[in-house]
Amino acid sequence: MRPAALATLLVLALVPLQAQTPAVKAGATGATKTPWGDPDLQGTWSNQTLTPLERPAQFKDKPVLTEAEAAAYEKQLVAAGDVDNRTPGTVQDVNLAYNQVWWDRGNKIVADRRTSLIVDPPDGRVPPLTPAAQKRREEDRKASDNEKSAASWLDFDVYSRCIIRSALPRLSTGYNNNYEIVQSPGYVAIMQEQMHETRLIPLGNQPHLTSTVRQWLGDSRGHWEGNTLVVETTNFTDEARGSTFQYATKNMTLVERFTRTSDRTIDYQFTVSDPDTWTRPWTVKMPWNRIDGLIYEYACHEGNLGLEHMLSAARAADRK
Amino acid sequence: MKLTHIAAIAALVLGMTAPAARAHHSFSAEFDVNKPIKLQGTVKRVQWINPHTWIWIDVKKPDGTTEEWGVEAGTPNTLFRLGLTREALPVGTEIVVSGYEARDGAKRANGRDMTFPDGRKLLMGSSVGNDAQSK
Repeated sequence: MRPAALATLLVLALVPLQAQTPAVKAGATGATKTPWGDPDLQGTWSNQTLTPLERPAQFKDKPVLTEAEAAAYEKQLVAAGDVDNRTPGTVQDVNLAYNQVWWDRGNKIVADRRTSLIVDPPDGRVPPLTPAAQKRREEDRKASDNEKSAASWLDFDVYSRCIIRSALPRLSTGYNNNYEIVQSPGYVAIMQEQMHETRLIPLGNQPHLTSTVRQWLGDSRGHWEGNTLVVETTNFTDEARGSTFQYATKNMTLVERFTRTSDRTIDYQFTVSDPDTWTRPWTVKMPWNRIDGLIYEYACHEGNLGLEHMLSAARAADRK
Repeated sequence: MKLTHIAAIAALVLGMTAPAARAHHSFSAEFDVNKPIKLQGTVKRVQWINPHTWIWIDVKKPDGTTEEWGVEAGTPNTLFRLGLTREALPVGTEIVVSGYEARDGAKRANGRDMTFPDGRKLLMGSSVGNDAQSK
């Protein structure tokens, strides 16, 4: 062996193994690795976006907007969401209930300028509901209308009761759309600011819990496919109003995919399937963007005066 | 075009595009849409609690006495990100609140619109910056 080649080998032997690994460069894809070699998804993120879940009728045959169209659409959405300038009495006005002080919806659509978060079916719409799911939707609407005369806290949904914000998966809502991901060998934890819940996701090939064990956030199992974290969640519960995703049953299966695509972005996709609810599975793609701030506590139970006030209002109505 | 037609079209357009407005709980189950109220008073204390901040103000009545009113506002996390901190709303600040009275008859209202007496809003816009990726 020539001296130069020997010297090269010696140098390589002295360099820590981790430094020799042809790591994916941060900056190009942002797909850095944790010290134990898993793709690094850690940080604080937001899934806030103005892009609607379903493609609006105005963009029926237009899945992607031009830059100019996107700018105009963003203006339209911001104006439509500006509750300070709403028309009294319209549905959007929500009985003049909440002004702009309440909301934090953002002012941008997704960067790839899609007109819906749904990417499959190709029409960007939630597949038709089965007759049973339509019935569940109707029942939920009636129950919601009946909150004014609620007899018990049990008449309210999981959100009003501060149990969970909503069933998984989470879409962008009016405020607090923030998440923190923390990883350790064998686990990924995702803390959701609203309602301050943490999903603890074991990695590997562990089986799901037995089907008789049902949980508000289901039972999640994760594994890596290249740089993508794939999480399958089952074992949901229908214990309370709003504890299943949209009008699905507790037997829905959720598959989520988290892929770090840049230093500041995770490409988040999910597919939900439940033959008792939708005529076919459907898939959403939306970015999680890094936020520079912290996640704050959202200890909903501590000051949930709203529930108390709604019940006292119902009792006051009874006395009339 | 009749005004009602314009309103109908506006409602249709908004219906297609406006984000769903759902706060932590049902507004109409807690407050009475038939009882609008306008309050002007000084901030007595602010409860920075989840899921809703409560701002308590002393309202001077025409007879010179004062009445304490509780005003429900947004979630503290959002208000903080928007810049409404303890320092921005100190005790003694005079504010004007338009909202609706509680259905149970208590001296509480929702804070639909909150301004300073000169009309300036407490907050403007959104906390969202323009992230290069998608915001």
